[in-house]
Amino acid sequence: MKRERSKKYFWLQRLRILTQAVFFLLFFVLFLQTHYPGEDYLKVTVERFFHFDPLLLLTASIASRAIYAALLLSLITLAATLLLGRFVCGWLCPLGSVHQFFSFIFKKARVLKPRKDDQASLAPKYLVLFLVLAASLLAVNLVGYLDPLSFLYRSFAVFISPLINIGLAQSGNLAYGLGLKGLGQAISQAVGNLALNGVFQNALLIGGLFLVAVLLNARKERFWCRYLCPAGALLGLVSRFNLFKLKIDPEKCINCHLCSIHCQTNARPYPAGEWRSSECIYCETCAAICPTAAISFPLGWKSERMQGVDLNRRRVLLTSITGLVLAPIFKISPLRRRSNPALIRPPGALPEPEFLGRCVKCGECMKVCPTNALHPALAEAGPEGVWTPVLVPRIGYCEYYCSLCTQVCPTGAIRELTVEEKVTVKIGTAWVDKTRCLPYALGKPCIVCEEHCPVSPKAIQLVKVDTLTPEGVVATNLAPFVNVDTCIGCGICENKCVVMDLPAIRVSSIGENRSAHNRLVLPVVEEQGQLKP
Amino acid sequence: MDRRDFLKNLMVGGLALKFSPGVLAQSAGPELAVVEGESPAAITREAIKALGGMSRFISRGDKVLIKPNIGWDRTPEMAACTNPEVVAALVAMSLEAGAKEVVVMDHTINQPKRCYARSGIQDAAKAAGAKVLFTDEQRLKKMTLKGEWLKEWEVFQDFVEADKLINVPIAKVHSLSRVTLGLKNWLGAVGGNRNQLHQRIDQAVVDLGAFFKPTLTVLDAYRVLFRNGPQGGRVSDTRLQKTVVAGVDPVAVDAYGATFFEIKPQELAFLKLAQSRGLGKFELEKVRIEKRAV
Repeated sequence: MKRERSKKYFWLQRLRILTQAVFFLLFFVLFLQTHYPGEDYLKVTVERFFHFDPLLLLTASIASRAIYAALLLSLITLAATLLLGRFVCGWLCPLGSVHQFFSFIFKKARVLKPRKDDQASLAPKYLVLFLVLAASLLAVNLVGYLDPLSFLYRSFAVFISPLINIGLAQSGNLAYGLGLKGLGQAISQAVGNLALNGVFQNALLIGGLFLVAVLLNARKERFWCRYLCPAGALLGLVSRFNLFKLKIDPEKCINCHLCSIHCQTNARPYPAGEWRSSECIYCETCAAICPTAAISFPLGWKSERMQGVDLNRRRVLLTSITGLVLAPIFKISPLRRRSNPALIRPPGALPEPEFLGRCVKCGECMKVCPTNALHPALAEAGPEGVWTPVLVPRIGYCEYYCSLCTQVCPTGAIRELTVEEKVTVKIGTAWVDKTRCLPYALGKPCIVCEEHCPVSPKAIQLVKVDTLTPEGVVATNLAPFVNVDTCIGCGICENKCVVMDLPAIRVSSIGENRSAHNRLVLPVVEEQGQLKP
Repeated sequence: MDRRDFLKNLMVGGLALKFSPGVLAQSAGPELAVVEGESPAAITREAIKALGGMSRFISRGDKVLIKPNIGWDRTPEMAACTNPEVVAALVAMSLEAGAKEVVVMDHTINQPKRCYARSGIQDAAKAAGAKVLFTDEQRLKKMTLKGEWLKEWEVFQDFVEADKLINVPIAKVHSLSRVTLGLKNWLGAVGGNRNQLHQRIDQAVVDLGAFFKPTLTVLDAYRVLFRNGPQGGRVSDTRLQKTVVAGVDPVAVDAYGATFFEIKPQELAFLKLAQSRGLGKFELEKVRIEKRAV
């Protein structure tokens, strides 16, 4: 018998690789575009990828009991999957492409040696999905931890981007050292224009998880997609009517097992009748690798009996119950009763329960923040708030006329604000630490916080303060006094304070507009310039 | 500058001296030009003209660095940063005078790109032909300032390497030094923890002024900030003064700038320190001032 591989599927496979590259590039370009563009408003919807993720629509809507309109775009993804199967995983998903790329590398390096008859259950990802969905029912949104887009974007924003920056800075340094002033200049200007100079707390943790996810490909091809991805699981459940169905021509098949060995997601193209449509991502590897071109994906209107999801009712029930039982664990946190002073949320953030219901921990806001003020939380926001954005004034402050973070949130956890609206939002209040403030504690002049206060009239006013020094001299200096009514908590005072380690003026979350209870209840009554108790 | 450039400049300079008899006569010209008018660009041009024209300061082939105040993320009507038209006029005049390259640069306080864009300076200066560059940490070098207080500090090399330095501050009030004008503008040429300088701000300002020694100081007082300095925040914190003050003597320029805020120069500690340091004179009655209106 004549042995010849299928030309058609060879080219289809190449087309798939090209599409993957294009979509990954698109993802990366949008990632790089997520910065201050030189104008107040972003013209490009840099967070667009997220809007096509039906898992986010489902979980964020259920958890927050509200539908965010932009996420309805993901119905397109659902509809397409209904007809065409999980091609999104194989052709479009940027994280899928990353995993596939590394699987390919590991295979080439012979680190990954796929086995002939891999019986490992593919069920874990469905269990992850049911767990996340069950938690959503109890208003706990856990999707951000393992949603592929959130996972990839967060890793890029917090871990990869600073690495790129370090690389650029060192090449700039090298360029200057070699006397290539023009090159050094070009690099530094590019870094300035793209605002690539962020560094983030917990970057090593987030980066470490990313590296683990990548290294898992050395164990099984597309490990993440096979076993972990809840978005892939959701699409798998939906892909029941696939128009294109795998067919093996029994006359051509030589039972070589190549297709099954190299199936990226272990969808079992061989033996005939075993194909699991819900696992197939239409990568076309099986059809392209078949030495006798026995495999094809003809259009089939008839609904055939297909191998369903690797799940049974008992398992689904068990996982869902586990989810319902586990979800409350994520709510065990004193933060539900008492606000964390260090939990300063970006302007426009919804009240904390709604915020946690919507936030998918993607890191868009952290990437776009021009002053590097937003960081992934670790313990600040409780167990359900790990990786949610928290403003750390010591590292970066909230730029007064900037509303970029409110423009990029894919789920509306941060409400979109105009610049005019944003300047009225109070995210916290600054407090002077008189035991560290130079005029108060040392009798030395310093008005740096007042100078930087962006509010007009300034929320930091200056009062004359006498400090008795050990020499018996009374040093009179101007010292800061915070007007709690006009302070918006932007944190530039804390950021610029000359007391570098523990600043002498610090912002805490008290007074934030979004909270009804984290307020200073007694309004300060002012009468004839006198503060009344 | 290599040797060939040096020789070329020497010859060009020599020829220029030989064939332009006006140069020597100008030494008796005004030390300070104060020009009032409706257009920021026109009054800037007129002020430089009153001082003898840009070619008196910029030679053919010079690399010029113009240092405006781009410190804040504020639009021009807030008068927190130098007027973009004033900066652009100086860029154009420098190029007309034969400058090889004009760089506009400031080490900002708010986020650099936002300051450069929203101040309007980036666009205006670029359109006029300048290279508008962000400061680059790689270019910071600890230098001996030989100041009374500041012995050494980190300085961006661009400001040291330029052939000619033009300081273009904006006139604003400040709660510690009372006003912020030309001498204080040099805080934007250094790195490090600049905010520590506020502990002896008057001395710091003079030490920096003595180190940088600009070719020319052009004070933008088109719109001045008289309240809530140094960044304001409301248009009502500003006032139209429609004036530009230019001069070689940075102390005299600052002394004149103080008068916009009803402050007598002798009330300002940093001006006294600057004069005793030999940087210039603040007693305006001893300064040849030419006032014009366009």
